[in-house]
Amino acid sequence: MIGRIRSQTEEASKFVVDWMEHRTGVVTILEHALYEPVPKRGAWMYTLGSAVLLLITVQFLTGILLLFYYVPSTDHAWNSVNYIMNEAYFGQLIRGLHYWSANFLLAMIGLHMAQVFFSGGYKAPRELNWVVGVILLLLVIGLAFTGYLLRWDQDGFWASVVGMKIGSYSPFVGGYVINFLLGGDVAGPATLSRFFALHVWLLPAAIAPFIGLHMFLFRKHGVFGSQMEYTERLAKLHERQRLEEYAGFEMDDDEDGQNGRSNGRDE
Amino acid sequence: MAELQKDPITRGDFLGFGLLGAISGAILTIPPVAFVLSPVIKTNVLGQTDIDQGWQRVGPVADLEPGTPDVFEVEFPIEQVYSDREIQEKFSGSQKSESEFTVRHAVWLSWKAPVKIQGQQGSGGDILGEPEKPAILDQKTSGFTQSERDEILGQLNILSNSCAHLGCPVRWFPEKHEFLCPCHGGLYDINGGYVGGPPPRGMYNYTQAEIREDGTLYIKHGYDIEPGLNKQQPYVV
Repeated sequence: MIGRIRSQTEEASKFVVDWMEHRTGVVTILEHALYEPVPKRGAWMYTLGSAVLLLITVQFLTGILLLFYYVPSTDHAWNSVNYIMNEAYFGQLIRGLHYWSANFLLAMIGLHMAQVFFSGGYKAPRELNWVVGVILLLLVIGLAFTGYLLRWDQDGFWASVVGMKIGSYSPFVGGYVINFLLGGDVAGPATLSRFFALHVWLLPAAIAPFIGLHMFLFRKHGVFGSQMEYTERLAKLHERQRLEEYAGFEMDDDEDGQNGRSNGRDE
Repeated sequence: MAELQKDPITRGDFLGFGLLGAISGAILTIPPVAFVLSPVIKTNVLGQTDIDQGWQRVGPVADLEPGTPDVFEVEFPIEQVYSDREIQEKFSGSQKSESEFTVRHAVWLSWKAPVKIQGQQGSGGDILGEPEKPAILDQKTSGFTQSERDEILGQLNILSNSCAHLGCPVRWFPEKHEFLCPCHGGLYDINGGYVGGPPPRGMYNYTQAEIREDGTLYIKHGYDIEPGLNKQQPYVV
């Protein structure tokens, strides 16, 4: 009985998978995307990028959920966060996930970058992936900065004020930068609206295609390439040495191969 | 690549496409850019401000003791985004936002201490004498004449609590006899003069102030932004 059900399920799922593969090529895509040879040594270090991706995904998902209750206006922003924390079911969990995964995200990005840096993963032909990664880092920092103000509490407010004033010291454009962020010349409703627009729309919309690009370039070149390439190069080197050795034998005695081999190269 | 092209671009084509491209590019980019940057254009280019430019009451100055600055809260109404004022002008009966939007300033008032020796770079600030309270304030409580009012105002430090470094709120420490910024340790003397720490200048002074006949101080929003390294407004708060 169990066996029959199992075989039927297997067949049915095989049919579905084949059907999808035929029409979308999804299985091939997944195979390309999910399977990648990993060197045995330090394999866990290569999961840091996936950890970052997971945390960003958590940010997107919990952020979408928080938007169901959050109100981006100066007179109700804090109240709505209070509502999320105290009245909405699992509000503490959802906002806590958003908060903590934001914190861990930056830590993970730091570890991920350190791993890429120390393993030389930024070297040719992966320079552009490092560049895209740095753009992603800057976007995440922008998201972290703009998200802090949205709570509209003293903590976030003053951190944002100090951050904006730091920006105002940039040469030439400082005065414009701070007025752009403030949405005027004073921290008020316009500031909150702007930070909301940046945090919820502009920066996530900007980060998504760069994540795609990062993944594409990563799949194109591989992340642990340097080590793999090294093994490959070593194998090639050995092969070449062996060939040269054979060539030496053959040069000795190109007329009579049988004698040549026994003579070696003692000339 | 050039040999792949069947019809080479003539000069006329180039100019035509260039012109067309410029026009359509401008149509596509100028409105969104101006839309997003409108506060920058309004404040930086046109010099407008979101803060109400009228007089705001600070408080009576008669109780202010020499040597101990006192802090007063002043709320400047601001007009930003919600365009309440325009709506009220057009449709006075319509619903208004429940809370009036203001920016709350903490204003430190103190009597000026005469500067005996001007501070040099790295000297740790000015050498100050004893702060003096105008004698007229002990004689009467209201009905100040214009010259008396000017005298009082001339003796008064009207300081923004927004640190000249990064805008954190500074506080007076009586035991140290200095203003201290909690963020990075900027120090100022009783006149708001620079003493130590990262700030590029002394505290911001309110430049427009008046004492009314009853001895109450009124100020407008505006600072002496000139002596800074870069002429920056305190912006917030």
